[in-house]
Amino acid sequence: MTGTDQTQSPVPFPGHSHGRATHPVRCGVVPPYLLERLAAVEDPRFEAAAEAARRSLRVDDPIRSLRFGDRRTSALPTPPARAVPGVTTRTISDAGHLQTLPGRVVRTEGQPPVADVAVNEAYTGLGDTHGLYWSQYQRDSIDGRGLPLDATVHYGRDYDNAFWDGERMVFGDGDGEVFNRFTVSLSVIAHELTHGVTQYSANLAYQGQSGALNESVSDVFGALVEQYAAGQNTQAASWLIGEGLFTDQVQGQALRSMKAPGTAYDDDVLGTDPQPASMDGYIETEDDYGGVHLNSGIPNRAFYLVAEAVGGNAWEAPGQIWYDTLTGGNLRANADFASFAAATATVAANRYGAGSTEHDAVLAGWDGVGLGFDPLQAAS
Amino acid sequence: MKVVVSRSGGLAGLRVTWDLQVDEQPDAAAWMQFLEELPWDEAEDTAPAPDRYVYRIRCAPHEVVLAEPQVHGAWKDLIDRVRAASER
Repeated sequence: MTGTDQTQSPVPFPGHSHGRATHPVRCGVVPPYLLERLAAVEDPRFEAAAEAARRSLRVDDPIRSLRFGDRRTSALPTPPARAVPGVTTRTISDAGHLQTLPGRVVRTEGQPPVADVAVNEAYTGLGDTHGLYWSQYQRDSIDGRGLPLDATVHYGRDYDNAFWDGERMVFGDGDGEVFNRFTVSLSVIAHELTHGVTQYSANLAYQGQSGALNESVSDVFGALVEQYAAGQNTQAASWLIGEGLFTDQVQGQALRSMKAPGTAYDDDVLGTDPQPASMDGYIETEDDYGGVHLNSGIPNRAFYLVAEAVGGNAWEAPGQIWYDTLTGGNLRANADFASFAAATATVAANRYGAGSTEHDAVLAGWDGVGLGFDPLQAAS
Repeated sequence: MKVVVSRSGGLAGLRVTWDLQVDEQPDAAAWMQFLEELPWDEAEDTAPAPDRYVYRIRCAPHEVVLAEPQVHGAWKDLIDRVRAASER
């Protein structure tokens, strides 16, 4: 292979222990942030180093997974390394327009594309989503432990929805008048899968502000997966959720806009996108568990403002801060907007330094949606 | 007498309402009996599920909120019929 000289870098390499019993990486000289950078390198010349770094990071993988118990009865498979963590195990099933799950298996991991576009979109979308979580945040699937990714397409008849049922992603075909098939949008696929990630991490209660945060986190990583797959930086990205989901008959671009909540659609039948963009417009309602799909516009916009201020690729520092906040174990299940905001500021200060561009961006982002707070208090 | 079915939630978060004037139906008597026999007070609370629909069904003096997984049997029949009549 080429680039073997790069593997001589001081990346601790499990198995290259020079005869000593070792805990591969924990005490390595490479700081975690560098490991993360290395792990994210996709250049094939650096594959060995990147793979080693990914493995290292897995060994250090947080305690958070312990909180949920090891759902796998056996230990992780042994090498070859590339077949160990970070490998997707996808199964796509077809409900055949019934509302019975899981349906008939139509494509499993490694099988070639089939004639059914919804099956292939789901398969690719799951792979893209897994790809961002793994390459950027070293999270191996929904549970961080390689949980197989299951999805069902063609759920129900004219079914205008997609959801995560606690075990699998489920996609309707849409009615063809307002909605197209729900697999058409990568941000929607990643949104659903992220509900699973949230379930296995902060487990934000699906009610009121914590519910809106649960929704927002799904939108954030839904957008990031789409941007990562397309190679779009913050400036180039649409920041739309569910682009392409509406048929041509609807006056609208998407379900939601993170950049400009409240502007995604304006249609004779659907009305105007009701999402608020700041706390001034916070909606009190009994519907939809306290308007979780409405008030999510507020933290969505805050994330966009952070990404805009930091610049570059939103899946890097901004995504990392949100990911750390979600999975770090310091967020209560019933967290409100203010406590989530404070948690992101603490994470940003810890990782990038108080007063860093990233930390300042986080403070300004929340301030921009009416959730300003004392940064000294938040960083302490 | 009026039956109102309001569906909120779903990934899109769109609220849709369908209603039906029972008195104006050709089979009004059958509707009345059907409505009276519904288990209005027996709906159990369920854990919220992300992106699923939530149905609020009102027919004074009754009101019930059902999560999508709870919608089956007579409730599904009611919703389907009100929706079909409303969209006619």
